[in-house]
Amino acid sequence: MNLLISLTALGVVAMFGGILKFRSMVMPLSVLGLIGASLLGVYAWNTNQSFLNDMMRMDNYAIAFSIVCMAGTLLTILFFHFFHSENEIHYAEAVALMLFAVAGCAVMVSFTNLLMLFLGIEILSLSLYVLAGLRKKDLLSNESSLKYFLMGAFSTGFLLFGIALLYGATGSFATTQIAYQLGIAGMNGMAAMGLLLLMIGLLFKVAAVPFQFWTPDVYQGAPTIVTAFMATVGKVAAFAAFLRLFQLCFAPSKEGYQLVIGTVAAITMLAGNIMAIYQSSTKRMLAYSSIAHAGYMLIAVMTLNASSNGSILFYSVAYTLASISSFLIVMVVQQNRNNDTADDFNGLGKTNPWIAFALAVSMLSLSGIPATAGFFGKFYVFSSAVSDGFIWVVAVAVISSFISIYYYFRPVIAAYSKQTHDPVMTMPAGTQALLILLSLLTILLGILPGFIAGII
Amino acid sequence: MLLEIKTSATSTAVDYFPIVIQFVFAAGFVATTMFVTHILGPHLKTKKKLKAFESGIKSVGNARQPFAIKYFLTAILFVLFDVEVIFLYPWAVNFLDLGMGGIITMGLFMVLLLIGFFYIIKSGALDWE
Repeated sequence: MNLLISLTALGVVAMFGGILKFRSMVMPLSVLGLIGASLLGVYAWNTNQSFLNDMMRMDNYAIAFSIVCMAGTLLTILFFHFFHSENEIHYAEAVALMLFAVAGCAVMVSFTNLLMLFLGIEILSLSLYVLAGLRKKDLLSNESSLKYFLMGAFSTGFLLFGIALLYGATGSFATTQIAYQLGIAGMNGMAAMGLLLLMIGLLFKVAAVPFQFWTPDVYQGAPTIVTAFMATVGKVAAFAAFLRLFQLCFAPSKEGYQLVIGTVAAITMLAGNIMAIYQSSTKRMLAYSSIAHAGYMLIAVMTLNASSNGSILFYSVAYTLASISSFLIVMVVQQNRNNDTADDFNGLGKTNPWIAFALAVSMLSLSGIPATAGFFGKFYVFSSAVSDGFIWVVAVAVISSFISIYYYFRPVIAAYSKQTHDPVMTMPAGTQALLILLSLLTILLGILPGFIAGII
Repeated sequence: MLLEIKTSATSTAVDYFPIVIQFVFAAGFVATTMFVTHILGPHLKTKKKLKAFESGIKSVGNARQPFAIKYFLTAILFVLFDVEVIFLYPWAVNFLDLGMGGIITMGLFMVLLLIGFFYIIKSGALDWE
């Protein structure tokens, strides 16, 4: 709770950075504040306290995911600072919106009442709608913002209708009450309908096929840094909330809907990976890749056993590290070569060896090659699905992972085996150091995965 | 618990009958008033009467045309504060019961509201020119 309050206060302070003329303080303040809030989270570890009439509970699950989201936000704010001058018109507001979004994430991952789930999702989404349209004069950015807003509002409708039906069936918004009533009466028609609509709303938010159609346009049109934020922090929080909801409310009746989620996961993985192959823009390719990763993470939501929490957490960390670093590299390439097709990565291994190294590590991690964090992320998710007997889903997942290697390796091959006459890429100071740090973390987690996996 | 009514999971379709009645009433009211006014009202259709009413000012042009974003901004800000003031009413009704804790909570709420207001003024959202 202290974590949430401090995040919100931080957002309010950052918001005034622009108009009260302390812009240069915004970045250091936010970074320190996020670190401080994470420490508050660590301090509350194992306390398992409930707040606001049992509407939210800061258990270890909530704290762990809040910290992952805050770490993602911290990295995004740093990147934002590298690429955007402090004197830009909405610099402080953008940082503030990211902080508000992460406050929404903290609500989403700690709810024990469906109202808080809804509130958290809205706080996150509203911030993201505005962030997507950050470049006011850019048509694509505007399109992205409007599309995201309309689709998001639509999916929120599904979510609310689902919550209303569940309330009708069980007489409560509290997850404990819902689980209790469903335990007594079983899944009646109204509750099943509510569950289905809730599922549709959440699948919209995590961009799973067949509710993925907004993702490519939104991700491509938004400023690259905002895309990185949406694809990592937004997705991680949505999955954490998804899993938490199902663990708290619907775990006993999981046989009834596992097939549905399994099918959605299989289609998402296949469709995301196959469509990603046809993209020439690397940023758009990463958008489709984020759809595919939603499919992998859905497997953990489907299995819904004791190891699901840990495997989603590990997957989130691995995915966040690799995604942020690959979006950052795309940003660097876009700025230097004005485009981001695979050909624009030509000769990167010669001109900027460290950037090429970071690119290789993040792509290896995203495709799930051993010795990177991505491998263990997939390993944990797949192995718990296999132990529950979902061989067919895992088979589809492995096949689609092989497909994904093709397009993940395209920029890497271009970087190392093709020549270029373009000059060495320039980038803001500190970018390279952070990219190397992210790569090293990815490799470290690929070698010592137990560090995070067993924590919740 | 907050916002909780006592229903059991065994509620049947009959329990929702009041909602059906309400629905019938709502639809019936609209239908009846529309029907009755059309039947009973005098039919005097002049050009001026059919014009769009614009607060007594002579109407100009089509209603569906782009307008300055300033109006939209003002309207949205008005809605924002209007909705937030709604929270004051339940507090005012329960003022004595909520006591000191209520005052502090409401004070905090108003301060947060004022922070937003301060931001709006400072960022120039209300500057008309």
